[in-house]
Amino acid sequence: MPAIIIEQEKINEAVKTIMDLGGTGILKCVQCGACSAVCPGVKAGFPLLCRLLIKNILDGRLEEIIEESSSWGCQACNRCTEVCPQNVRPQEVVFAFRRYQAGELAISTSTTTSQMNLYETGHAVYSESSKELRKKVGLPEVPPTSVGDAKAQKEIQTILEQSPMGELGLF
Amino acid sequence: MEKIGLYLGCNIPFKAPDIEQSFRKVFPALGVELTDLPGAGCCPAWGTAPSFDLNTWCAVSGRNITIAEELGVDVMTGCNSCFGILSEAKHFMEKPDRKKAVNAILGQVGREFKGTSDIYHASNILHEVIGVEKIKESLKYQLEGLKIAVQPGCHILWPSDVMKVKEKNSFYPTHLRDLCEALGAEAPEYSRLEACCGMGGMRSTDVEKSLGLFTEKLRSIKEELDPDMIVTTCSSCFLQFDMSQQILKERGVIDYEIPVFYYTQLLALAMGFDPKEVAAISQTRRDGVIAEIQSEKRKINEEEPHGV
Repeated sequence: MPAIIIEQEKINEAVKTIMDLGGTGILKCVQCGACSAVCPGVKAGFPLLCRLLIKNILDGRLEEIIEESSSWGCQACNRCTEVCPQNVRPQEVVFAFRRYQAGELAISTSTTTSQMNLYETGHAVYSESSKELRKKVGLPEVPPTSVGDAKAQKEIQTILEQSPMGELGLF
Repeated sequence: MEKIGLYLGCNIPFKAPDIEQSFRKVFPALGVELTDLPGAGCCPAWGTAPSFDLNTWCAVSGRNITIAEELGVDVMTGCNSCFGILSEAKHFMEKPDRKKAVNAILGQVGREFKGTSDIYHASNILHEVIGVEKIKESLKYQLEGLKIAVQPGCHILWPSDVMKVKEKNSFYPTHLRDLCEALGAEAPEYSRLEACCGMGGMRSTDVEKSLGLFTEKLRSIKEELDPDMIVTTCSSCFLQFDMSQQILKERGVIDYEIPVFYYTQLLALAMGFDPKEVAAISQTRRDGVIAEIQSEKRKINEEEPHGV
């Protein structure tokens, strides 16, 4: 009877990809599941986070799960990092997997507005209606941030343009 | 007077500027001078640069921190996400290789990250630098008899190894309870006190899953405490509690609503500041409890000799 087929080369490639993208602790994982037990994402119903995501990567199944939305449900809360007895820092693995997905443009279209906001104003969240709200509570319409500062915006744009985000053509 | 750089982020200045105004009122009155960080931008939010590239995350965070370094001040933020993002970026840049790579990027915009400014949450400054005794002395109204459900949020607690100020047990946090009790209110433990409210990446990815977590937390608060208000030191949690109670009400999931405050808004009210400036923007109504807080009977009589 055939067992699970493990392709060592595929595993090595998946692990290297995730480690290069910041999930440096992945090989220390012993699949105990302490991370998943405290994960609000798992609790809310995103299955492929923490232990199960790591299991898939350690089995070399990276392309197979590239469309998974679970990783984008991660709150980056780091409860997993706090409780992991092996110091895997599972949140860093989840974000490394996100970066792998993002590099292949396997991202939700809902995120594109925040990328453009960040590029244009220096703020991922920005709304013109804030001026009225600020005035109402006795503050200047524009805060002393990049939103009203052309030099600051230029600096942020320079950083973003030469980054992998710029190479993906997000801006 | 202590001096600290006020890092605003996005949600507070653009969605809840009454929280920003409450910082600008209470901190100087408590002896902490706030210095603006001109040109600071997004931290950057979890769904932006951190989801694409680690060095870009560190460069955008590092740029913000260099503004404080140039002014010779530490950084204080009232947004849990900004606090987590900046604290972690600083932690990553403690590795010389990472710092070098990030500074190669920052060099292109004429900046260098040195690592000389520390990152603090507004709650850290209130609890550790100002302290509950000084807060007690600053009050014009006392909150005796009012019950508060506290919501510290996630990023102020974990991962604790990247933070300057730590709770004794991050899964049983007490700092925000201490700060609320300093106002004379009651702030009891409840079973889901440390639980996530469901805001953040989860809400933009799947709003129903987010509301599922939120509903469970809200029910726990209502059934276990039935509080007069919910008080948080996370601007994202504030937005979730404020707007999602209205969604649940419209859907008939709940038949009540609980007023929500960011802690410094409540503190500012107890210090006598004008609610039109410090607690003016919310979807969930707060006017009843604000009137109760600033009522004549709660006034602390300064003329009273206190046995002197």
